[in-house]
Amino acid sequence: MSFSEVLRKTWRDNLLFSVLVELTYRCNLDCFFCYNALGLRGERMSTEQYFRFFDALRDLEVLNLTLSGGEPLAHPDFMKLGARARELGFVVRVKSNGHALRGEMARRLRDEVDPFLIEVSLHGSTAATHDRQTRVPGSFERLLANLREVLDLGMRVKINSTLTRWNEDEAEGMLDLADSLGLQIQIDPEVTPRDDGGREPLSIAPTREGVHRLFALQARRAAEAGANLSIAHGADDGTLPAPVEKHCGAGSAGIAVDPFGNVYPCVQWRRPVGNLHRQPIREIWTGSAGLREVREITAGAKRIVDGYGPSGSFLNFCPGSAATRTGDPLAIYPEAVLRMEETEKAFGAEKKKVLLPILS
Amino acid sequence: MNEDTVLKPAPDVRFRIVDGEAVVVRQRSSEVLVMSEVAARILTLADGVRPIGAWVETLAAEYEVDRATLEQDVLRFAAELAAEGILE
Repeated sequence: MSFSEVLRKTWRDNLLFSVLVELTYRCNLDCFFCYNALGLRGERMSTEQYFRFFDALRDLEVLNLTLSGGEPLAHPDFMKLGARARELGFVVRVKSNGHALRGEMARRLRDEVDPFLIEVSLHGSTAATHDRQTRVPGSFERLLANLREVLDLGMRVKINSTLTRWNEDEAEGMLDLADSLGLQIQIDPEVTPRDDGGREPLSIAPTREGVHRLFALQARRAAEAGANLSIAHGADDGTLPAPVEKHCGAGSAGIAVDPFGNVYPCVQWRRPVGNLHRQPIREIWTGSAGLREVREITAGAKRIVDGYGPSGSFLNFCPGSAATRTGDPLAIYPEAVLRMEETEKAFGAEKKKVLLPILS
Repeated sequence: MNEDTVLKPAPDVRFRIVDGEAVVVRQRSSEVLVMSEVAARILTLADGVRPIGAWVETLAAEYEVDRATLEQDVLRFAAELAAEGILE
């Protein structure tokens, strides 16, 4: 059996495989378009609770564990938690803004957590743009210095970027910057509302022209590289399942957990389906009525997307984003259609298979 | 490699059993392997404490197979996993 078939099985049979944990909403940057619901309140998960949660995930045969935030390194027990995750045999990913990734912190991350991958955020190819988005002067130069330090330590790093109105003219510069560092970069063309529904981030959503230029740029680069890749969407961890009757693995193979123990189908789908203070994860996973509904919705989303015919493969539609934007997880929102149209313009006419950095 | 050999997964190996099969990730090389049910069972038995002979005893109780054949198969498979750097 191939890995793709294993992933298909996790989606189809509801086998929990990937978990993203938002350890804290504390952060040492102040990004304008941060999607975290910073006003959310509740009882924080204790370190001991996380240990028990990780044990339960191990028993459920979860493989991928992503430590996120906020800034996960800002959690006071991050190293303890990361080391425990390593000890339990998870493939650990760390989603960080990179601001604190240096010196002792970077060395400890390597030696104690040994992550499979560190994903850091880049907001522009210039200090002016990056620092404008992070609202912390000097953050761009510090990030570049930290990236070089982390790479010198031998850790694997990937750059994540979100295309915005402020940085859309620097897309090529960001790709060049990643190339100069020898790093993979994923530029997501979708700015999402805040998790609490706040729409302030959307004020810097990229323009249609900006999205068009990004896709044209990617198409040109793919052609120059002779890329023979495939359209990618649906899996948080960047993996692609074989065709399955669901649009994505939200609530079927993956979940997200916020700092207060609330469990969601996905980091982008903020519909609580349980809380770890009240129920162990196994009970939530097997018994949550909310999760059952989510699984039906992702199957419904698949049928809707399939209704677009061949163009549907370009429709980077996210039910979670739809729910936050419209209240209806099955509402195809304009930004998804825009991306489908622009992707077809850039890639579809030539029927090229190209990997787009559009993983939701 | 014999019945007294003690093996455990290499430090960069991560694995889980998904519906009976082993999904093995080699962190250093970013390689993902999918292995059979028997391989999955052997990976769980390779705990750095029990020797291969103990694995054979355990498996003999689980599978209706000839003891000598089982021992040969387990030794051969353990050697292959060690040669691949998955067990050490």
